[in-house]
Amino acid sequence: MSPKARIMTILRSRPFLTLLVVAAVWIVASLATRGFGAFGHLRYLVELAAVIGLVAAGQTFVVVAGGIDLSVAAIVTVAAVGLPLVSSSADPTGLSAILIVLAMTTAIGLVNGLGVAYLKVHPMIMTLAMATFLQGLLIIIAGGSAVSVQNPLVGWLGNARPAGIPAGVLLWVVISALVLFVMHATPFGARIFAIGANPRAAELSGVPVPATTIAIYGISGLTAGLAGVLVLGMNGQGYVGIGDPYLLASIAAVVLGGTSILGGLGTYAGTIPGSILLVTITALITVVNASPGWRSILFGSLILGLLLLSGREAARR
Amino acid sequence: MVNTAPLLAARGVSKAFFGNPVLRNVSIALLPGRVHALLGENGAGKSTLINMLSGALRPDGGTIEVDGKAVSHMTPPEARQAGIAVVQQELSLTANLSIAENIGLGAYPRRFGLVDYSSLASQAREACALVGLDEPLSTPVGELSLGRRQMVEIAKALYRKPRVLILDEPTSSLSATETRILTDLLERLRSQGTAILYISHRLNEVMALCQHVTVLKDGSVTADRPLEGTDAAGLVRLMVGRDPGDLFPKWQASPSRTTAASVRNFSAGLVRDVDLDIKTGEVLGIGGLVGQGQEDLLLGLYGAIPAKAVSSEVNAYQALPGGVPKANALGLAYVPADRKREGLHLIHPIITNLMLPAFARLPALKPRNRGSERDLARKLAAQLGIKGDLNRPAQALSGGNQQKVALAKWMPHDPLVLLLNDPTRGVDVETKREIYIMLRQLAKDGKAVVLMSSDTPELVHLCDRVAVVREGRIAAMLEHDALSEENIVAAAVGADKPKVAA
Repeated sequence: MSPKARIMTILRSRPFLTLLVVAAVWIVASLATRGFGAFGHLRYLVELAAVIGLVAAGQTFVVVAGGIDLSVAAIVTVAAVGLPLVSSSADPTGLSAILIVLAMTTAIGLVNGLGVAYLKVHPMIMTLAMATFLQGLLIIIAGGSAVSVQNPLVGWLGNARPAGIPAGVLLWVVISALVLFVMHATPFGARIFAIGANPRAAELSGVPVPATTIAIYGISGLTAGLAGVLVLGMNGQGYVGIGDPYLLASIAAVVLGGTSILGGLGTYAGTIPGSILLVTITALITVVNASPGWRSILFGSLILGLLLLSGREAARR
Repeated sequence: MVNTAPLLAARGVSKAFFGNPVLRNVSIALLPGRVHALLGENGAGKSTLINMLSGALRPDGGTIEVDGKAVSHMTPPEARQAGIAVVQQELSLTANLSIAENIGLGAYPRRFGLVDYSSLASQAREACALVGLDEPLSTPVGELSLGRRQMVEIAKALYRKPRVLILDEPTSSLSATETRILTDLLERLRSQGTAILYISHRLNEVMALCQHVTVLKDGSVTADRPLEGTDAAGLVRLMVGRDPGDLFPKWQASPSRTTAASVRNFSAGLVRDVDLDIKTGEVLGIGGLVGQGQEDLLLGLYGAIPAKAVSSEVNAYQALPGGVPKANALGLAYVPADRKREGLHLIHPIITNLMLPAFARLPALKPRNRGSERDLARKLAAQLGIKGDLNRPAQALSGGNQQKVALAKWMPHDPLVLLLNDPTRGVDVETKREIYIMLRQLAKDGKAVVLMSSDTPELVHLCDRVAVVREGRIAAMLEHDALSEENIVAAAVGADKPKVAA
């Protein structure tokens, strides 16, 4: 491919187009609304997008492999509510509690993967059942009250700004680099695309389909857990329902970024601007100053509209 | 007959995909009461031409004429209304619907706005009778064998009482009896004045059935003339542009044979208690009627379906592989018959398809080297004659080239045992020849080639031994000296006094 052709490919790619939409919305909103374009505000938007971006990282893996993870919202809540419970004063850094929680959420993801890979339960049913199970468990353990956290590392993650950049955004950058590497530069990534495009052909080509499937749901559990830790840090306290907004947001970010909901095609490079676009839309709706009911209706309609504009794909044979 | 006006014609049509010209200035005229053969290698542009004649594609240049009148922008429904029916190579049936529902789909008889099932049944029964389908009409199509489904597909076209009938390789999955029924039927339709376009790679069928032939090569017409006075060799020459030579390479016994895999009392799927020895240096044929368990035999050996055996040895490993990754590690490779559904990732680039077995066995998180992947893929493509940009999706390739990709992806891994499921189905003569030469060469290089085939001549001329499977058991193991089409067919139908050996 000539350099010129390569540049044309990038310019026409979905990640780049999504990025263009984000830039356009930001410019128009900055001109139309006082304070929207301020550095602090935009930085805040990206910080919020980091949470969606983390949840959507695992979701991208799952969707590329032809599945879907409907338990991410519940897993975010498990992390945010569970972390205060496992934090102990014996560890002054707070790292051990984070590791325990991440191990827990990864294990939840692995169970999803086991159900999908070996019990052959449809991913939608498996993860929805898991979400319902976790919600019940959370209500029993945490009840209706919010739990506050005294964990230095979690606090740092949610509030610190080394060199003016929020720690959460730094975390997102690191995870994004890792995800892009695994997805596009390793055999594991290639296997995921193969499973999503044609699971039968992948199996007959020697791809270990069950093991790969279990791994990607594990990854989804891990990144949703990370998002839960981050949202707890930003929020200061966790409560049942804290993760709820991230289910639709994570799937919408994946699809807005150009990943095929049918599996086999896509990239996390699109999910990143997709996440920022979603947060931007939410912020704009808040500016409109409508009641929560209307905000929700507006948000849902806008996502649907955006997907109709950009996310439709040609039927496959 | 010469003076009758064509019912359907293409005049100087051209078509290009992604800038690659597929058809250049092609003309064809379908006359009533004539069976017109369309020949050409895979990728010559036959399917594209059919798609334009049936309204599925629009020509870039030239016109399509129905009854002598040029129609611009013909859509598939308009084509159907004009009495044009196509029997596709890729079956277009819905597995969950019954035979009758499939036949009537899209043209159900209505009564008070509802589907009139009784009149559907009577009309569908009529169409089924024409093609000799005697299964109950309420049978879901998913329960039928591939050959029977093909007959349903043909019945579906007949149900619409077409004036122009286009058949794209209708016999590739039919048994000899079914082929004969179809031939008689086409003969009858022809005498009633139907215009028929017949596409097949089986030249003897074409010679027997057709009156006129159009040959396509690389998107251009190289011949358009009556079949009278031509012979099969002449047709092949027109298709490939050179002398055909022998289709099959000369058979030679391989000097060294050692056992690569052997199973005793092996069962998998339909297969029951089979004893089989697979040896290096030979091509072992697996024959029989369609759906007797041949595929399960291969899949079971490959670990893709559950299998058991009293004793087994695969490449010095004292058990069945039990799973595909393990089978690959033991040196087994499998090439499925259904390229589109089982062999390839159509939406992915050719290069990714070629590299997939490598991705499957490399350490999961070892960084990929795109440069060496490209080099390897280029080498494979050159070796097997796969043309064009390797970054195109695999669905852009013709059937023969797709088959080459499905074979080529295993080559870097140097498999000891190659399990091939009907590798030449729907493949043009020239590619067939290339594949045959390759299989003999592989055997000569000390590989064990297991060739399951529905093409009996292939088994006779290419194989060292042929196992004929009937009702899940090996009904006969024919050694090379005993190989003949008669012996294989006799063993397959069980009407044999077979020369059983081994």
